[in-house]
Amino acid sequence: MNEPLATSWRSRVLGVFALPDRIGWRDHVIGATLAGAYVAWLVATARVLGFPRDEGVYFRAGATYFNWWRTLIERGGDALRLADGAFSDNHEHPVLMKTLFGASGYFLHQKWHVFADATTAFRFPAMCTAGIALFTTYLFGARLWGRRAGLVAALLLGLMPRVFFHAHLACFDVPIMAMWIWCVYVNWRALDTGKLRWAIFAGIVYGLTLATKHNAWLLPFALTPHALFVHRRATLAALKRGRISLPANLVSMALLGPLVLYAVWPYLWHDTIARLEWWVDFHMHHEYYNIEFLGKNYFGPPSPKSYLPVMVLATVPSVTLLLFGVGAYARGAVAVGRLRAWVRARSAPVPGAATTDSRAEADLLLALSLLAAITLFFFPRTPIFGGTKHWLPAYPVLALFAGCGFDRVAAAMQTALPSLAGARLQAAQAALVASVIAAPLAVTAHSHPFGLSAYVPLVGGTAGGADLGLNRQFWGYTTQDAAAQYLNPKAPNGASVFLDDTTWDAWNRMQEEKRVRRDLRASGNPGDAQIALVQHELHMNEVDYTIWVALGTDAPAYIVRQDGVPIVSVYRRP
Amino acid sequence: MPVTRAKTACKLRPAVSGDEQKRAAAKAWQRYAFAAIPAAGLLELGAHVVQTHSVAPDADWKAAREFVATHAAPEDLVAFAPRWADPVGRQEFGPQIATVEREARADTTRFARAYEVSIRGAHAPDLDGWHREDAARFGGVTVTTLTNPSPVHVIDDLVSHVDPQRMRVSRVDGGHESECTFAHGPPLAGGLGSGPAMPPDRFVCPGGSNVGTSVVADLDYYPHRCIYTPGVGGDSTLRLRFLDVVLGSSLHGHHALYVEAERMKTGAPVTITFRIGDTTLGTIFHRDGDGWRAFELDTSAFAGQRAEVVADIVSPGGQRRAYCFEANTQ
Repeated sequence: MNEPLATSWRSRVLGVFALPDRIGWRDHVIGATLAGAYVAWLVATARVLGFPRDEGVYFRAGATYFNWWRTLIERGGDALRLADGAFSDNHEHPVLMKTLFGASGYFLHQKWHVFADATTAFRFPAMCTAGIALFTTYLFGARLWGRRAGLVAALLLGLMPRVFFHAHLACFDVPIMAMWIWCVYVNWRALDTGKLRWAIFAGIVYGLTLATKHNAWLLPFALTPHALFVHRRATLAALKRGRISLPANLVSMALLGPLVLYAVWPYLWHDTIARLEWWVDFHMHHEYYNIEFLGKNYFGPPSPKSYLPVMVLATVPSVTLLLFGVGAYARGAVAVGRLRAWVRARSAPVPGAATTDSRAEADLLLALSLLAAITLFFFPRTPIFGGTKHWLPAYPVLALFAGCGFDRVAAAMQTALPSLAGARLQAAQAALVASVIAAPLAVTAHSHPFGLSAYVPLVGGTAGGADLGLNRQFWGYTTQDAAAQYLNPKAPNGASVFLDDTTWDAWNRMQEEKRVRRDLRASGNPGDAQIALVQHELHMNEVDYTIWVALGTDAPAYIVRQDGVPIVSVYRRP
Repeated sequence: MPVTRAKTACKLRPAVSGDEQKRAAAKAWQRYAFAAIPAAGLLELGAHVVQTHSVAPDADWKAAREFVATHAAPEDLVAFAPRWADPVGRQEFGPQIATVEREARADTTRFARAYEVSIRGAHAPDLDGWHREDAARFGGVTVTTLTNPSPVHVIDDLVSHVDPQRMRVSRVDGGHESECTFAHGPPLAGGLGSGPAMPPDRFVCPGGSNVGTSVVADLDYYPHRCIYTPGVGGDSTLRLRFLDVVLGSSLHGHHALYVEAERMKTGAPVTITFRIGDTTLGTIFHRDGDGWRAFELDTSAFAGQRAEVVADIVSPGGQRRAYCFEANTQ
C-alpha cells in the first residue's frame, strides 16, 4: 500500500514542476527568477563600482525630476510653473529613467532605508531593467525556439562583461537595451497573436522606449518593414478594395508612442516642437569625445568602420559569438529554404503547397532589429566615444540567436549520442550548458569593477586589449579603486588630491558614502595637489605629463592594476 | 583469370571502401561537430585562467631593476615595452632610472645603448633596427640590451641650458626688449585641456609669459621634454639666448604645440628663428598638425666654436600657442 501512495505523491510533486509544451506562467516564473538573480548579483556588486561622470549628473537630475513630480502631487498646479526649471537640467536626454532613479532614491533610500547607499537606490531601476532584458530574452527565446534556447540566451546576455558593467549604472544604456528588446517582443506578440491589447501595449512600450533614450528613434526602421511584411496580404487585399489597412501595432506606436513620451516628459509641455527639434539636433550634431582604438586617439570623424566588429569580437565572449554564428546560420538556412520554396511556388504553383509564414516572421524581425541597432556605427560621422555601450540594444538579439545556436548544438548532441537518456541525458545537457556559460561567467565576474578595461580571452584579456591599443576606461569612475587601494590607507591627513577625470559630484558622493576618506580634499589643479591621479586613457597621457612637471616626479607611488595593466596611476609629491 | 580477377577485386575493393570510409568519416565528423562548441567554451575558460594568472609579479620587476641599475650608464636609454607598461616601469624602476630625460626623449638617435625592459614579448617600436646584444630574463620581465647602429653624438643640449646661468630670456615688443627674470613659484598646471605644465623654476616675463622646461604630448601622446614657450601673440617676440653653446656641424631639434591645438588645426603658425651673432641660421615654421617635427640647421661654419645662440619665437596669434621645442648641437 505504501509504494503506490509514495509514487502518487512523488508524481504529484513532480507534476507541479513539469513544464508543459505551451509557454505560460511557469516561464514567467523562470524569467523572473533569472531576472531576480541577476539584479541581486548587480546589487551585491554595486558598491565596489565608482561613479562615472554621467552618473553624477543623472543622480542630480533624477532627484530634481522626482521632487517635481512630488510637488505636482502635493501642490498641483503650482508645480506646472516650475516644470521648465526642474526639467531643464540635462534636457538632452528624456526623463523616464532619471525620474525612476529619483523615485528609487527617495523611496528605497531616503524613506524606507532599503539601501544604505543613496547611489545604490538611484542605480536600482537601471539594474531592474537589466533584469527585464534577461526576462524578455528568455521569454522571447522560449517562445521561438524552446526553453533551452531562451534560458541560454538570457544567461549569455547577462554574462557579457560590458552588459554587466553598464547594468550597474544609473545611466540609460542598459535601460534602452531592455526597452528595445521589450518593444521588439511586444510588437512581435501583437503581430503573432493579432490581439488588440498587444497592439495597444506596443504603442505604450514604444513611448516608454522613446522616453528612455534616443536609440528608440531607430526602432521604426526595424519594426515598420517587419510589420508591413507580415501584414502584406491584408494590406494588398485592402488596397484592392480601395481601402488602407495598416498593422495595428504600427498605428498604436505612431499614436501612443509620442503621447506617452509627451506625458512623461514635462519639459515638452511648453514649446514642444522647438524642444523636440533641439533634442534631435543635439544628438544629430553631438560633440565628439576622445576614444582610443587600435592605438590611435579618435576625437572626430571619420570614425573607423572596423570599430564595431573589432570591439564586439574583443568584448563579447567568443563562445557566445560562436553560438550566435551557429544560430544565425541555422535561421538563415531556414529563411533561404523558405525563399526557395516561395520562388518554386511562384514559378510552378502546386495546390496546397503554398509557403507559410514562420511565427510572424520572427527571424526577419530579429535580423532587422539587429541591423537597426548597429548599422549607424558603420557610418563615418557616427561618434564612437561610447565604446560598446551605444549598440547594447543589439545584444539581446545576438544572445537570442546564440540561444538558438545552443539549441541546435544540444539537439546535435542528442542525435550523436542516442544512448543518452533520462538522467544521463539531463546531466549531459547540464554539462553542455555549463561548458558554454563557464567562460562568460568567469570573464564577467573577473572583469568587475573594471568592466570597461575587460577584453575577452580571444584578444588576450585585459592585457591583450591594452596590447591592441583598445580603450581602457572612460568617465573617471576608477578613482574609487585608487581610494580603496591607496588613498584611504596611505594618504596623509587632509591631503589634497587632483582628481583628473572624476567629477566633483562623484567625489562628493564617494565621501558621503564613506568610499573615500572625508578628510581628503579634491583639487582641480595638479600644481596645488599633494597627490595626483591619472585614469589611464590614451588622451589622458597629456595629464600624466603635466603631473610629472607639476609634482616633479614621473614615478607613480602606486598603480591600480587589473591583470597587471595600469588603470589609475597615483602620484605623490616628493 | 582468377588471379586477374582477384587482383582487380583487390584494387577495386579498397578504392570503393576508401570512399565509403571518407564518407563515413565525414559523417562521423559531422555527427560529433557539436563538440566543437563546448570545446571552444572550455578553451576560452582555460585561456582566461592562464591570462589572468600570468601577470609578471613585482619581484620580477625588482630583479630586472637591480640588473639595469647595475649595468646601465647615465647616457644609456632605459625603455619599457609594451607602451601600456610604461607607468609600471616608472613605478618599479623609480625616477633615478626611469628619468624624465629617458622617458620624454626627443628621439632615440642620441643613445648608443638601450636597455629595453619588456613583458609579454613586447618590443619598443622606436628601437626597431637596433642590434640585439644580450637578453636577461627575470621571470616575466625580460631586459634586452640593444646597441644603436648609428648613434648621433650630441655636443650640447639646449634644454639643459634652461637656468639663469646659461640662458637669458626676454620679450621684445616693437623695438623694446624686456628682460624676463628667473623665479621659483608654484607650478602652473591644470587638468585635461589646460596644456603642458610650467615648472616651478622658470623665466617670468613682463605681461605674464613664462619659459621653462616641460613635457609635451605629441599627436600620438608620447612625451617629449622641451623648452616650453607659450606664444605671446601679435608682433611680440620671445627671445631666448643660450649662452656659451658648444657648436658642431648642425643644430638639430624638434618642436610641437600642445596636442589639442595641434589636432584642431585652427591656430596661426609659430616661427622660430635661430641666430648666431649676425648670422641667421634659419627660420622654421610650425603649423598646427605638424606634431613633434624635427628640424636641422647647418652650423658647420661655427663647428668647434663656443657662441651665444639666439632663438626668436613669434606667432601672430597667441591663442593656444603652447609651443615647445628642443634643440641640440651635433
